[in-house]
Amino acid sequence: MVSPIFIIAASLGGAFLLGLLRDPWRRASYTISLLVLAFTTALAGAWVWGLASGAVQAVDILTAGTQPPFAVNLRLGIAEAAMVLLINLTGLLSALYLRDTLFIQGRRAMAVLLIFSMALSGIVMTRDLFNLFVFFELAVISTGGLILLSRDPRALAAGFKYLVASQVVSILMLVGIIFAYHATGSLNLDDMAAASEQLLKGGALAFFLIFIAVVAELKLFPANGWALDIYESAHPAFSALVSAAAGSAALVAVDKLLTIGGPAWMEVASIIGIVSFVGANLFALAQNVDRRLLGYSSVAQIGLIVFVAGQQDILGDSYLFVAGGVLLAHAVGKAGLFWLSGLIGGRELTAWSALQGNPLLIFAFASFLALLIGLPPFPGFYAKWELVHLIAAEGRLLLLSLLLFGALVEAGYLFRWFGYTIKRDRHPEPVAPSLYKHGVIGIAVLAGWSLAYLWGELSPHANLLHAAPMLFALMFLAIEWAPARLKNAVAIAGLLAWFATTYSAYDPLQLIFALIVLAGGAVILLASFQTPGRRLGFYPSAMLMFAGLAMLILAEDSFTFFAAWESLTIGSYFLILRGRQSEPHALSYLVFSLGGAFLILTGFALAAQGNSQFALAGLGELVQPLAPWVFLLLAIGFMTKTAAIGLHIWLPGAHAEAETDVSPMVSGILLKAGLFGLFMLLIHMGRQEFYGLDLTHAMMWIGALSALLGNLMAVFQEDAKRLLAYSSIGQMGYALFGLAMMNHLGWLMALMFVINHYIYKSMLFLSVGGVAKRTGTRAMYQMGGLITLMPLSFIAVLIGIIAMSGVPPLSGFGGRWILYNAIMTSEYRLPMILVFLSGPIAFLYLFRLIHSIFLGQLKDEHRLIKEAPFWLVLPQMIYVVCLLGFALVPGLALRHVDAYISNFLPQGALNWEGLTITSDFGYWSPVSIMLIVGVIFSLVFALLLLVNRKAQKVKQFNIVFSAERPYRPETTHYAWNFYASYRKALGFLEWPLFERFWGAIVDLLHTAADLSRRFYTGNGQVYAIHLLAFVVVVYLLKGGV
Amino acid sequence: MQFEWIMIPYSLLTLFIVVNYGMLLTALMQKIGARVGRRHGIPIWQNYFDLIKNFGIRSSITHGTMFYLGPVFRLTGGIGLLLFVPTIYASEMFSNLSFAGDLILALYFVFFGTLGMALGAAESGHPHATIGISRGLSQVTTAELPFALAVFAVALQYQTLSITDIVAAQQGGITNWTAFTNPFAVAAAMLSFLGSMMRPPFDVVLAPQEIPIGPPTEYHSSYMALMQTNRAIMPIAKIVLYMNLFFGGAASWPVFCLKVFLIYLFSVFVGVVFPRFQVEQSVRWFLIWAVPLGILAILVV
Repeated sequence: MVSPIFIIAASLGGAFLLGLLRDPWRRASYTISLLVLAFTTALAGAWVWGLASGAVQAVDILTAGTQPPFAVNLRLGIAEAAMVLLINLTGLLSALYLRDTLFIQGRRAMAVLLIFSMALSGIVMTRDLFNLFVFFELAVISTGGLILLSRDPRALAAGFKYLVASQVVSILMLVGIIFAYHATGSLNLDDMAAASEQLLKGGALAFFLIFIAVVAELKLFPANGWALDIYESAHPAFSALVSAAAGSAALVAVDKLLTIGGPAWMEVASIIGIVSFVGANLFALAQNVDRRLLGYSSVAQIGLIVFVAGQQDILGDSYLFVAGGVLLAHAVGKAGLFWLSGLIGGRELTAWSALQGNPLLIFAFASFLALLIGLPPFPGFYAKWELVHLIAAEGRLLLLSLLLFGALVEAGYLFRWFGYTIKRDRHPEPVAPSLYKHGVIGIAVLAGWSLAYLWGELSPHANLLHAAPMLFALMFLAIEWAPARLKNAVAIAGLLAWFATTYSAYDPLQLIFALIVLAGGAVILLASFQTPGRRLGFYPSAMLMFAGLAMLILAEDSFTFFAAWESLTIGSYFLILRGRQSEPHALSYLVFSLGGAFLILTGFALAAQGNSQFALAGLGELVQPLAPWVFLLLAIGFMTKTAAIGLHIWLPGAHAEAETDVSPMVSGILLKAGLFGLFMLLIHMGRQEFYGLDLTHAMMWIGALSALLGNLMAVFQEDAKRLLAYSSIGQMGYALFGLAMMNHLGWLMALMFVINHYIYKSMLFLSVGGVAKRTGTRAMYQMGGLITLMPLSFIAVLIGIIAMSGVPPLSGFGGRWILYNAIMTSEYRLPMILVFLSGPIAFLYLFRLIHSIFLGQLKDEHRLIKEAPFWLVLPQMIYVVCLLGFALVPGLALRHVDAYISNFLPQGALNWEGLTITSDFGYWSPVSIMLIVGVIFSLVFALLLLVNRKAQKVKQFNIVFSAERPYRPETTHYAWNFYASYRKALGFLEWPLFERFWGAIVDLLHTAADLSRRFYTGNGQVYAIHLLAFVVVVYLLKGGV
Repeated sequence: MQFEWIMIPYSLLTLFIVVNYGMLLTALMQKIGARVGRRHGIPIWQNYFDLIKNFGIRSSITHGTMFYLGPVFRLTGGIGLLLFVPTIYASEMFSNLSFAGDLILALYFVFFGTLGMALGAAESGHPHATIGISRGLSQVTTAELPFALAVFAVALQYQTLSITDIVAAQQGGITNWTAFTNPFAVAAAMLSFLGSMMRPPFDVVLAPQEIPIGPPTEYHSSYMALMQTNRAIMPIAKIVLYMNLFFGGAASWPVFCLKVFLIYLFSVFVGVVFPRFQVEQSVRWFLIWAVPLGILAILVV
């Protein structure tokens, strides 16, 4: 294998060669530059391959023909090789990307670029402290040169500030090196590490100076104003280099120093890293300039890696896996985003809406964001999993919470940006058409996904990219060109095929959920046949959500469970975002869901006690004092998904603003993921005492409150879909209440709600969606009298509301009957009051729904509308049949689950013999009820027909109206503020306490970010003072450590 | 208990008795109310005349399918409720069709007719009908709550949801009645009872004295006849439930008639004394006065 010294030699040689060429020979110069970078990249690639496959060993390259410390030595192990590859590849791609700029700037700029990548490679490979300093200086000087590549006039100022700051850093470093040499008598890093005790004792200040210099070189928060100016004003390709390549190189340097510094300095690194991660992410919240935002995000990510480096004492063997995962994901993602920003004309975040109409670029954008945030299946996800587990096992909970908080904030602002891109009006300036630039971005995407695969292979868990549902979802990316209807057929077939192949693997409980997700999903997808065209982005998102759900049900260990959880969250976010007005709601959904997911992650990590693999069944073996904490974290995480009161504010907007066929998916199906999680949790962990409080008791109250307030808020909605959305909060509250009762029938009731809610809520969302499609509004008071025009939709809503209200003979009654039987054995009685109160409230909003839309006065503008489209009506009719079937023979689905629940809660099972279902307290015969009601109804109807068969249908306004004849449907249709008197009595319960609470938190974060960012004044002297202050503060803190 | 064909004629007999008793009883209550107000009141047979008249009216219109079906739902609800509850304790003959479900069925079936009627009335397109429904539904949310709590307390007390068993547990003397063994529950339930009887102070839903307002606004002729039949059945069906749960049930028809009369009279008694509440007032009233009793009942039981 060619010696890695040629990586440095070739760059240096290339740079010299460029100096010999004539200035106008731009093409030749450019070709040479590319060739050199291609060579160094290939060489680094060959070493990575060789070292990874074991064909070659890590090498030490001795220069000047003598052993260190008398000569400089370089070392190339797998980590170094990967970093050198990253640096040179980023250099090569940036050179490609910079083609036009370099042609204008000429060979000098190209030479500087070569020196820059050479210097960074040198930083990575060298084992000599002074040599490290030299390479740093080279990097600084070439950085100064490269900043000037930008056409932005601010770049000059930024470059100058950078040089000022760099000189301060260099002086610190040099002084440090001198004293360190004095203390150890060697400049070789390995010698110094060996003499670490001596150095740290005698030359603590020396080490501090070197360390702080390298840390400052990383541009960490808060001593980084100058760096942010560079990110903002430099050419994006160069910013990519600074963020991805220079950042990585400096990180390697920090890592080298930490081998000398040992645990004490790791602690310092951890603190600096986490402060940087949280602080920079927080500041980024207030940014609306894309490159500056990326700059903050870079600072945060690099801080995260410094944090990881600081945690290497507990990471052990996983250190390279974790640090590498985060670092590479950051490098690829950040470089990709900077490159993308070069295609965008405007600098404000909303200007990225220019990407609309470029599905490939949007895919690239989404991939880069996912890389940065660490979503599955990207390396950051695996890395974060290991990291969190090890930190949690060590009990460093403060660090853990800061880490997750920072990650949440980061996800928040990055996805807010994504929302702008997708939903804002398209920016007038189109995306730059450069083929090179697009090619470079394409390679970055490819690299990101390759890393995803690689990290999946390296991780101790199953590779997520091998999971069949995930692959199936990703396959839709490849067939995005196909017509939507074809893709829809494939999607339905896929769901059903997966159900058929996994059928035997389910226990009865899982089977119910699998039926709802897979078969139920297929039924809802029938409605998607309605949408013509290609429907870009819909199927990958939807199928990602379904893949997550499918994997969730079968998950046996915490990793698969969590990966599935995140997948379904992300898939559903993209899906919800498709709605016309859904931008803020999708974001709030995502932030709540990820917040919940992080709690789940923490819960699993605490439970696993350091093992990254943890079977879910192991939850049952946890003991005090850990168990209640795990329970609490997981329960809150799951309740975020079921939109329990307090955590519910994302739901109404997300469900209401979603597309017609998406609302039933996210309401009818997605909410059940949270219930499934709660089932899993309660089955394994049972009751838990938390400082004397029975947590299931608390859950009961939360469930009851959700039922009450969800229903109550539904009553006051004018928007039909919002009404249904609030009603979901109430319904999930019932299910949560049932589960928390911790008795046999409570669980059965929860399951009954799972089934019922899926059927009627999907049906109602489809009907209402169909009506909204025809009338062009969702405000119920603008509708009215549609019964004759849309009879099938009316029937669906009618059956739906009868079922939901719990009136016999439909299936909702079964749920109520089981509820009453369940509460007979419940230990707690007071929460029932809220449940009893919320029951009749459901009538209010259900009646309002059907009346305001279908009954009352038809509006003039609606006189010609037709029934909802066939494909929307078809699933509704299927649901009608299902509801009637389920009402008649609930045992078909429930008796097996009833028997299954007996495994955990044997007391109180139902008796399903014959037609009558009996419990310990009462009985219920669905078939008899249906028959009796049917017969009585028919007889009375026959009587009426007999005496009143000649009734004449009269016109709309033919009513007894105070001796007048109304003529305007708008003033005759009693619909707006329908329950005015109820609002007078109980409207105070509608006060948006939780919205205010969360709104205040968000405002607080934004205000804090906005105030604190003024700290960066743009003045070079101020930045220099920041830097010095940073040094002093760290020194003082270290002194106190 | 299983279904037997003989139950059909027995149930029809119950229905026949109750319809007639209901016709007479509601007229009697009207009369009592009138006498309190120093008026003469209607003849005791008035309901029969009205029924015949309404069935006899030939002109009739409809506003649509749901409008047509509204009274059918309403009457089905009334008859169903009556037949799902055993009328006479320990009588095979008058156990009706209670084999189909227990107390919870009765509790929820009350809404069947209400909902169907509301849908029918709403299709008429008359705003007064809808306003009445809006008021009625608002009121029922809290008016039903004390009753639901009382039922829960009674079910807990007797550890059963079967009405027959609850009545059985109250046999053997007046002190065994729930009214004495669980007075808070009964107090709560009786306050709730006021809310469901369409009498003052809780009758703003129908507002019978003003211009026609309330769900029946557009109903007439045979529709009205069906609803009138239901007005005879429904109060009795409800009172049977109260009688069974709280007042020891009835072992024979005379006892039945007496108890139903007295329970009914309670609502009339309150009604003639107190003026009418607005809806928001009644919503608050039930929450403030009746619900705490219900809560007390489930806590002390």
